[in-house]
Order: sequence, then C-alpha cells, then structure tokens
Amino acid sequence: MSDAAATLTQDRQKLEMSVLSAPAVIFTVAMIAFPVVYTVWLGFQNFSSTGKQSFAGLANYSKLVSDYEFWHGLWVTIALYVLSLVLQLVFGVWLALVLFHAKRLPGIVRSLFISPFMMPPVVAGMMWLVILDPSLGAANYILQSFGLPPSEWLASPSLVIPTVALIDSWQWTPYVALIVLGGLQSLPPSVYEAAQIDGASPFRTFQRITLPLLLPTIVTAAILRSVDLLRFFDIIYITTQGGPGNASNTLNIYGFRVGFEFFNIGYASALMLTLTAIVFGAVLAFNRLRGAVAW
Amino acid sequence: MKARMLATHVALPVLAIAAASAQAHAADFDWMKFKGKTVTFLANNNPVAQALLTYKADFEKLTGMTLKVDGYQEQQMRQRLVTVMNANSDEVDVFMTLPSREGEQFAAAGWYGDLTAMAKNEVAKEYDPAGLSQALLKAATFGGKLTSMPMNIEGPIFYYRTDIFKKCGLEAPKTIKEVEAAAAKIKACDSAVTPFVSRGLKPAVAYTFSNMLHNIGGSYIAGGKSNLCSAKGKEALDTYSRLLRDFGPPGVVNYSFQQISALYRGGRAAMAFESSNELRTVMDGGARLKDTGLLPFPAGEAGQVPTTIGWGMAVSSHSKQPEAAWYFVQWATSPEVQKKMALQGIAPPRPSVAKDPDYRKWIDEEPVRREWQAALDVLATKGSSEVGYPIVANPESREFIGQAVQDLILKQKPIDQACADADKALDALIAQK
Repeated sequence: MSDAAATLTQDRQKLEMSVLSAPAVIFTVAMIAFPVVYTVWLGFQNFSSTGKQSFAGLANYSKLVSDYEFWHGLWVTIALYVLSLVLQLVFGVWLALVLFHAKRLPGIVRSLFISPFMMPPVVAGMMWLVILDPSLGAANYILQSFGLPPSEWLASPSLVIPTVALIDSWQWTPYVALIVLGGLQSLPPSVYEAAQIDGASPFRTFQRITLPLLLPTIVTAAILRSVDLLRFFDIIYITTQGGPGNASNTLNIYGFRVGFEFFNIGYASALMLTLTAIVFGAVLAFNRLRGAVAW
Repeated sequence: MKARMLATHVALPVLAIAAASAQAHAADFDWMKFKGKTVTFLANNNPVAQALLTYKADFEKLTGMTLKVDGYQEQQMRQRLVTVMNANSDEVDVFMTLPSREGEQFAAAGWYGDLTAMAKNEVAKEYDPAGLSQALLKAATFGGKLTSMPMNIEGPIFYYRTDIFKKCGLEAPKTIKEVEAAAAKIKACDSAVTPFVSRGLKPAVAYTFSNMLHNIGGSYIAGGKSNLCSAKGKEALDTYSRLLRDFGPPGVVNYSFQQISALYRGGRAAMAFESSNELRTVMDGGARLKDTGLLPFPAGEAGQVPTTIGWGMAVSSHSKQPEAAWYFVQWATSPEVQKKMALQGIAPPRPSVAKDPDYRKWIDEEPVRREWQAALDVLATKGSSEVGYPIVANPESREFIGQAVQDLILKQKPIDQACADADKALDALIAQK
C-alpha cells in the first residue's frame, strides 16, 4: 500500500473510532463536567434559608477562611485519614501475606476474612453503633467480662476519632489486602529463589525484597483509599453525625449539613469544592510517589 | 414570633367559615373525581406514616387513584425534599412536614401549596375540618395561608418505672426538682438501672430541652436577642445537662429516640423523657406494659408548658395535580382514618376521635394507655409548639442549643461560656433575613 493510501486508511480509522466513541465520551463528560461546573457556579451564589438566590462573588470562600468549623473539620478529616490509612495499609499488607502463604486455608475462611468490605457502609455503621453502645452494646459487655473498665467509644470526644478509624479499618482492610495480594502474586519467583539460595531469613526477604517490590501496589492501594478516606461520611453520619459536639465533624459531614439541613447551598458548594481540591492534591502526590517507587 | 400556645379555645375564623362552606359543597363531593391518577407521597418512615400506610389500599379503593409512596428516614426525607423543591420538580405531590421545625422556612421559600381554599370548598361531608385541633391548624398557617393538615399530636412526655419508684420509696415527681431528687435516690437505691435518660444528640436536644426551658419560665428570644444566658435560660441548660451528665447513661450525647426507647424498653432506665409517639415502641414485647407510669413533664416555676407538635401533610407547590393531592391529604386526615391510626397508638389531632367509643375502649384496656391519653390532653390544652428558635433558620438554631447542652454534659465549657457562645451564634441567625 502506498504511503498516501496508508495515511488515508489510518485517518479513516481514527475518524471511525472517534465517531463510535463520541456518545460515550459526550455522556461521560456531561455527567462529570456538568455537576462540577454547576457546583462551581453555586459556590459563587448566596442562597438564603428561604431559597432566595443572589450573586455572592468570593464571599463564600472568604467565609470559609474565617470559619472555625471549616478548620476544625479539616483537622478531623486529616486526623481520621492518616490514622485510618496507616492502619489499613499495615494490616492490609499483613492480611495479604497471610492469605498468600496460607494456601491451604479453606475458601470459606478466606471469604470470611474479606467479607467486611462487601457490606454496605450504612449497615456496617449501624452494626457497630449497636455493638459500641456504652450501655447496651456487646463491646463493653466483653470488656467488663474480662474485668476491664467500659468505654464510651463513639460518645467520647477523645476516643471517637480512633473508634471511627477502627470501624473503617475493620471494613476496608480486606479491600487493601486483596489489592496487595494481587501484587504479591505478580512478584517474580526468581528473586525469592535467589534469596533462598543466599540463605536470607524470612524477615530479611520481606524487608529487602517483598516490601520494595510491593511498594507500587501499596501506593496504588493508598491512592484508592485516600479518595474514600478524605471524603469520610457514611460511618460518621450513621454513628455520631459529627458528634459528640463536633469531635467527628469531617469536612464532608459539615458540608452536607450546611447544604441539606441548613439549606445554605452556596456555602456548602464552596466547602465541597475545597474538599475536592484537597482530594485531588492527595491523589497527585501519591501518583508522584508511585512513579518514584516503580520498578 | 411569640410562642404558639395551644389551647382548644383558640378561635380560627378561617376554619369556622370553612365548616359552614363545607356544608354547601359536601353534596357535590365525589371521591372518584380523580380516578386513574397517581399521587406521589414523600413520607417520613416514622410510626405516624407507618400507621397511615397500613390503609393505603383503602384510599386506592375509595378514590380509584394510585398512591406511590417514597419513604425515607426523617433526615433523608428532608434531603430528598430539598433536592426536589430546589429543582422545581413535580416528582412529589404530597409530603410530610413538621411546621414547628421547617414551617417558616418552607413557607418563605414557597414550597407549600395553599390549602386554604381547598379546605373550604373541596371537602367531603364527613371530613369536619373544624374538628381538627385549632391550635395545630394555626401553627400550620403562615401569612394567612393554611399550609398543611395535622396528622397527629405529639410531644415529649415523662415515662417512669412505677416498680422502681415503689422499691426506692418514691412518689411520681410533680416538679423538676423532684425529678432530680428521684434520680439521685434511684442512683443510690438501684445501681443496675440508669436513673434518667433523654435526648443528648446535638440536633435532637431541642425537642426535649424546649419543654424544660418553658416549664422553668425561660424563653429563647427576648428583646430580639438570644436569651440562653438569662437566669432562666442558664437554669434550664444547667438542669437538663446535669440530669443527663450525673444520672444519664454513658454515651448519652449520642442518644436520640431510638436509643432512649431501647434503653427504657429493656428495663435499663427508671425515667425517660421522650416522645409520646414512642409508646408503641416502648410497650413492644409487653415487658413495660404493667410497670410504666406516664405524665407530662413535671412542672417548673412557670408550671407545665409542654412541647406539643404534630406532623402535617402538605401539598407541594410544584405539584401538577394539587387537587388530586388534596384528596389524599383529606382522606389521610379524615376522622375515620385518624381513628384507625389512633388504635395503633398515634394520638389523634381531633378531640372527637379522642372521645370515640372504640378508641376509649382501646385506651381503657390498659392503665398505661389511660395515662398516655391524659398526658396528651394536657399537651393539647397547655402546649407550646416552640421547639428551637421561632425563626426561619430554626433547624440551624437547634444545632447551637444542642452544642451548648453537650458542652455542659461533657464538661467542655463552664455554663457562662457555653450559653454565651450559643447566644453569639444564635444572634447572628436571628439577624439573618
């Protein structure tokens, strides 16, 4: 085929691909772009409690800067994020190693290990709300059976963040484990054979071979969990609604309440866009890290 | 806005005229007028709606209409409503509403359809609009427009364990101070039981706290400013938070009606201050049927000013079929349906139903039901529908009331600071237009 004919064929193929994929692209852009653009527009509007609307300029964003609840919510969000992410990555890697090495583990046991993340977060939240009830819950009953003092769990301003982090980690650690397990199964066996020949101990093998090779997978899991953890909502909404006081009032909970309970849609939009920017920033940072640890 | 005092002698010219006009139009009334139409009902999945919807098939048979129900928990119902109304959508024809909470806001936003004319001109002979609680109808009237019809009457009442009181040598408390004294005695007498429980969850506190504030003689607003730091306001904050902190269950700051009912029903609380709607839940299983006494919340220095509210049924201003929607509202709030709901423990907003022989027979079956009805009679005659601040931003005002109470329960602030911080935020809300 001549060069001109080959070019024409290629151009035609590109055109065909564009035309065929156009509906999906248009639909996706519309479903993502329109809500984002509309939210940006809402962030510049002032909505009163009576639904009256006026242009607010940057007023919502300047209010955000001086709003104590925003900064407190940001602090709660970051604290929950860091604590939950560390727990889930550490225990997720451990669980993945257990599942990888315990090849004789029955399927039903494997399924039980990973089942929590298949539960809807609302169901998980309601279940833990009952378990952790200081008066009626099983958790305190078990503690007291062992002679330990009961805890206020979700009702304690100092314990609510670690408690929520534990609930979320109970649910999502198996998800991290599955991702890391996939990474473990893709590691080249030759390096392990070489380590075995050199007489490396299991701990040394893990430290010098497994962990460095798994880092890209772990960072991928961190990216996926970061998007959810920075937008922490379900468990908190079901269990504490941001309380006690505002001890578990994340940015997402705060924005939700401002928008849907106080009907201040404009300010809520500004809050949510700020949160979105934070999530994007975290994802970009982790993406760079993944590039740095890739092999 | 002044507190709305509920009294059966409150005159409502609008509905008195409606009663007369209704006679003229009753003969023309045809339940089948909108046969074939579908009415969408956005319901709060609470005992009131659950009782109503037991008879959904009756409505469809009577009218030939189809009733499509969209049911959610209360907060989710409001969120759905906000979304639908902000989009000016006609997806919802009828929705449940709490005039005491969002009435001002929804009325100002123009979300309620005007029922004034339909309540006069489009009523069946047996509907009897004048037979509804005049005070609840007044509470649902904004700017001269009737915005919803009451489905029930309710308020927080005082549940107490007669057996524990007897064991600890106590009489039923008549004053707030006696409640506290009883709690202290029960704490010493029976360590296995929580002496007192009520709402501590921040957005839920205002429902029960308002009753105590009014009984003590306090008010939310004085001279156009927030009044929580007045002597009576501080006394109410201090007393309510002290009862929960010193005599309430661990974790009470997360408690709303579900936890309170579960604790009391399970025999783990001696006194509970919670909604009259929870009678059915509390009595569930029968364990508390014989050892529960019921009263309006005991008096303070200003006597008894119980909180009294009622869910209402409103027609959406965006509905494309408001008259068909009104037929459903009318059916749901008719004497016949409200009598059936009353037999399921939903207190009727019609004095006539409360006097109905079948209902009285049901009431007389159990002493606890008689006491429940007696408490509701007090709510109906003496109550105030003021829950939180009587301003458009009422829902947001409840946050700051709840925050002040939680600050005191958790000992995070002294009372002067807690009330001052709340007053500062609430003054800003009061000033909002």
